[in-house]
Amino acid sequence: MALTEHLQQIISCNHCGFCQVACPIFRVTGREDGVARGRVALLASLMDGKLPWSAQVEEPLFNCLLCGACTANCFPAIPTPDLILEARQEYLKNQGRKSLHRLLFDHLLPYPPRLRLTARLAASAQALKIKNLLDSLKLLRFLGPDFPETMDIPGQLPLQAFRDRIRPQTWRGRGTSLNVAYFVGCGQDITCPEAALDTLDILKTISRTVEVLPNCCCGLPAETYGDRPVARNMAERNLKLLSAKPYDLIVTDCSSCAAFLKKYPTLYPEDDPRHSVAVRQVSRVKDLVEVLSEHPPARSGRRADLVVTYHDPCHAVRGQKLKSQPREVIKALPGIEFREMNEADWCCGGAGSYALGHYQLARQVLERKVGNIRASQAQVVVTSCPACVMHLSFGCRRNTIPVKVIHLSQLVNRP
Amino acid sequence: MEIGAASFWDRLVRIVGPEHVSFDQTLRTVYSYDASLQECRPLGIVFPKDVQEVSAVAKEATRYGVPIVPRGFGTNLSGGTIPPADGLIVSLFRLKRILAIEPANRRAIVQPGVTNLELQNALAPLGYFYAPDPASQKVATMGGNVAENSGGPRCLKYGVTTNHILELEVVLPSGDKHRLGGPTGDGAGYDLRGLMIGSEGTLGIVTQLTVRILPKPEAVRTLLVIYDQIQAAAHSVSAIIAAGVVPAAMEMMDQPVMRAVEASFPCGYPLDAAAVLIIEVEGPAAGLEVQVQHIRRLCREHNCRDIREAVDQEQRDRLWAGRRGAFGAVSRLAPRYLVADCTVPRNKLPQALAQVAAICARYSLLNGNVFHAGDGNLHPLLLFDPRTPGQLDLVHRAGEEIMEACVALGGTITGEHGVGLEKKAAMRLVFSEDSLAFMQALKPVFDPLCLLNPGKILPDHIHPASPPEPVGPFIAPGDELIPNSESEAAQAIRRAFLVGLPIRPTGSGCQQTFGNLASISAKSDNDHPGFLILKTTGLNQITEHEPATQVVTSGAGLTLAALQAALAPHNQWLPLRPPFCTSRTLGGIVALNAWGPDRLKYGAPRDLLLGLRFVSGQGRIINAGGQVVKNVAGYDLTRLMTGSAGSLGLLTSLTFRVVQVPEICRMLAMVGTEKQLVQVAAKIMASSADPAFVYAVVRAAADSRDLNWELFMGFEGLTDVVHAQVAQARNLVRPILGQEPLVQEYNHWPGPWTDILTSMYTSPYVMRMDLPLEKVMSVTAAVMAFNGWNLLMVDLGMGRLNTGLSTLAGQIWADMSRMISDWGGYAALEQAPDDFKSHHDIFFPDRPDWALSQQLKEAVDPKNIFSPGYGPGRR
Repeated sequence: MALTEHLQQIISCNHCGFCQVACPIFRVTGREDGVARGRVALLASLMDGKLPWSAQVEEPLFNCLLCGACTANCFPAIPTPDLILEARQEYLKNQGRKSLHRLLFDHLLPYPPRLRLTARLAASAQALKIKNLLDSLKLLRFLGPDFPETMDIPGQLPLQAFRDRIRPQTWRGRGTSLNVAYFVGCGQDITCPEAALDTLDILKTISRTVEVLPNCCCGLPAETYGDRPVARNMAERNLKLLSAKPYDLIVTDCSSCAAFLKKYPTLYPEDDPRHSVAVRQVSRVKDLVEVLSEHPPARSGRRADLVVTYHDPCHAVRGQKLKSQPREVIKALPGIEFREMNEADWCCGGAGSYALGHYQLARQVLERKVGNIRASQAQVVVTSCPACVMHLSFGCRRNTIPVKVIHLSQLVNRP
Repeated sequence: MEIGAASFWDRLVRIVGPEHVSFDQTLRTVYSYDASLQECRPLGIVFPKDVQEVSAVAKEATRYGVPIVPRGFGTNLSGGTIPPADGLIVSLFRLKRILAIEPANRRAIVQPGVTNLELQNALAPLGYFYAPDPASQKVATMGGNVAENSGGPRCLKYGVTTNHILELEVVLPSGDKHRLGGPTGDGAGYDLRGLMIGSEGTLGIVTQLTVRILPKPEAVRTLLVIYDQIQAAAHSVSAIIAAGVVPAAMEMMDQPVMRAVEASFPCGYPLDAAAVLIIEVEGPAAGLEVQVQHIRRLCREHNCRDIREAVDQEQRDRLWAGRRGAFGAVSRLAPRYLVADCTVPRNKLPQALAQVAAICARYSLLNGNVFHAGDGNLHPLLLFDPRTPGQLDLVHRAGEEIMEACVALGGTITGEHGVGLEKKAAMRLVFSEDSLAFMQALKPVFDPLCLLNPGKILPDHIHPASPPEPVGPFIAPGDELIPNSESEAAQAIRRAFLVGLPIRPTGSGCQQTFGNLASISAKSDNDHPGFLILKTTGLNQITEHEPATQVVTSGAGLTLAALQAALAPHNQWLPLRPPFCTSRTLGGIVALNAWGPDRLKYGAPRDLLLGLRFVSGQGRIINAGGQVVKNVAGYDLTRLMTGSAGSLGLLTSLTFRVVQVPEICRMLAMVGTEKQLVQVAAKIMASSADPAFVYAVVRAAADSRDLNWELFMGFEGLTDVVHAQVAQARNLVRPILGQEPLVQEYNHWPGPWTDILTSMYTSPYVMRMDLPLEKVMSVTAAVMAFNGWNLLMVDLGMGRLNTGLSTLAGQIWADMSRMISDWGGYAALEQAPDDFKSHHDIFFPDRPDWALSQQLKEAVDPKNIFSPGYGPGRR
């Protein structure tokens, strides 16, 4: 199995335990099976047969946020999230996929129109306050037993997704040279269309043309669930799309998508032809944060004073090593007082769709984050991942703190 | 699961709820290890949320006979948290609150699941810190710190955990809850807190800790000294210590470790150097330059290649991040390691390092060194790959040889990581069978069924030697014996044991009346004729003094004054100035843990003692502790014996850490109103001025009370530092007092307060009260309301109040001591007429832990021959 290839990494954990201080899940549960040292020890036991691949190991394998804080805090830098992903694949092979996962990964995420339609149904139901209808849909029940509560997380969904308003096509920009493709993440598309509109606007100012892509899900949710075949399937669809035209840049404003797009080559063995295709395409992929830092938007004129803090999405700060760039972009904007919050690079607990499956755990991780936000006394929290925006907004709403959570695009493009 | 286990599980579920207990194979797998090389899956894991649940769990475990192992974050390096296969892990993670931070009382109250770093982070914004800082402080819980008596880089200057814990709340397997210690750390009765610290979870489960916190020093400077030869680094360390400079930390790292660290995070270590020292000095900014210059010169004299200084906090943080992460980083060199933890006298460091290298070479083992050089506490890392057959055995054998080599150099087997499972057998290298048997007898006092973390610390199959056949003089009640040797003393005590003759140990006799009135002496009019008086004054030889390591070992009968005279030519002294310091014996001072107001800077006897020897109630010679500054091998009998007032054995030999004589001593003396002076004291205590003592003296007079307040605060040490401290103190005093305080020079020995104490002890009654600092003034006011007080010494640094009284009504004593007890303090009568004593206990009111003290005495002195009746509760 693939895990065996990681044996060297697994045995090089010498149990120093330093990951315990960094792991948001351990800080909540205090349970050794919920921290890198314990997860790696479990993998070692699974591999040498001391522990069977039973349903008992599901929770320790799946309650990891994959935030990567353990690795960043680990002197030998054991890549626990990668090991966990391999183990999840192994687990699915042994225990099988659940039917509702199949629904989501096989029938919804690969098809953006279907996904948007589903979202619109949900949004309408919310707007009409037909909670019972929503409940009876039980569409997302597979995500966890806390389903009724998880419905509070997204808040009121927009009735129209971004790509319902802006048809995927090529738009003329105000720049002179760049031809840019805008890869629209599902989260941004469905939950943050306003931010996506701002992104489009920003991209127009720096490029000659912007093409809004009709891409499907990047595949990260399936990959994190351990469903490598589905992730590959989506990657292939997207790679085909990206290869179609010689874009100068492929930009996404979702740091999670950006980080995963950049990882496409690792989905295939190096001798697989798809690997080299992926390498070629991925070299042009940029997180919007990088684009903004390389092409600072010319924002002149006065803006109202605003106290801003920044939350590092895991996929930006550890996934792509983007730490200083977003802060520099923010600080250069007019009217901004930037205030660093404590533990800005700690996971918010959203972790993509994690919060939907582990509502209670995610909420406790979130509480710590909200405490730090409150302590910063900022008026606005800025971040660059729609899942973080959604989860942080939920946290602020829940604690009734008067803080607005927005995407970086919205701050850059504010009137 | 067995049937018994099933109902046990049900009961646990009822206590903590189903989500907080698990018998799953998966969870048991991840609680089968700590950071050591040991492994064993427990029966289950339980996560109680508070002391009530801990207590209920313990009670159930006792009822079902299930072993329990308390556990924090499981980062133990000696196998101390490895459960037996039928054992239950009690995770204290959920007890993770900081309950109080009280700068004015110089203390913080925390639960055991708080990590050391979390506490530091909470204290830092207030300008305070907690001194022990184990390298793993990020993930080392406070409960674990107590269990292991943790050290850390900074303990070179500040001492280890036991020097900073004031009070512990512990749960015993019976479910009983006890509070051990008190506001100054000591309570009446035995120092069970001291015994608990370092007991590796085998005597009790700590559920709450009160720790001493200190104001952050004004400035810190950090040097990175680079060497081409590791021996040169080791020589520099002993040279710096011998020169009387006390850095806050002196850490060494060799090339293999530096490479592993740099490969992980660039911390700024030179990869081509053989070794580096990280040396940190802290204190008043004005005094640091001279210390840095001193250190630079000494390092150059010992052939360092280069000296760099961290220019800012970021560089400093990086140097320390590398040091603190080193154990994890070495897995880049090999998957696993065994870390030895021996301590050697500092001047033996070069030899110890050479021997470690030779042993590793003989076994063809890759090794790295990263350790607390200033303390002589080595951490050789023996690196290996467990997949190579036979390697684990080799590594263990090499580890044993390293321990043997270090013990042969005068060191010990573990300085801070604990004995756990890995060093049990090696306990025999440092303790006699009799000593091990004495330790073994203590465990059932707390844990009669041996359920708490069983199988740790003590080696299996302890065989006490057959007791000495008493030869020598026949003894009778009322005899006074002055043995000239330890074995002579042991003979006499053995004889007394056989006939059940009670013994009263004494030294110079100046505190002979301390304690309750023994009922046995009430039978006669003469001076305690019922007792065999054992006078230690014949045991008055200094047996070892190594000036370079600042350690002295002496017979217990030597007077402190004689010791100071012997140390003086080496410019050293033992910084103790308790009442009667010029006439008392060392044994007498240790037996009563007697101290003066300078405890603030130097500590009490319990803080300065490294080890001791005594003869037990069965006439056996017991050795405790050792000759090195860091030592966590076995139960801390040194702390247990200190303050036991001659009721557990006869102290025969004492080993102290000594210090360089201060270059200068300056005292600020001032007269003012009570309000002004209390304000001055509070200001000084909250500042970084670091006084050696702060006390007020009040004399009863007919006229206005206010004018009789005098305040004294002293500063002792390097000239530049003291001048800076005095300047800082004057600036604090001036605005409050409206005038300049008097600055006086004084001799460090016997210090400025001997006359006051001597005159206080001319009163028939001397009462001493230990209190949280904030309560001292309220009690002072209460005392001043009595008729009969004539002199008050208010120690505003330590929270101790001493008063001389001409009369004391029994009812007042009872009310007063009860009130003090209610305020979290305790009172005792140092001196009282026999008539008073025959009606009243001089230790009052009763404390629940006295019952434990009593059981402990019965366990080690079965015939109750040592000082019966003198102790708390007249036992």
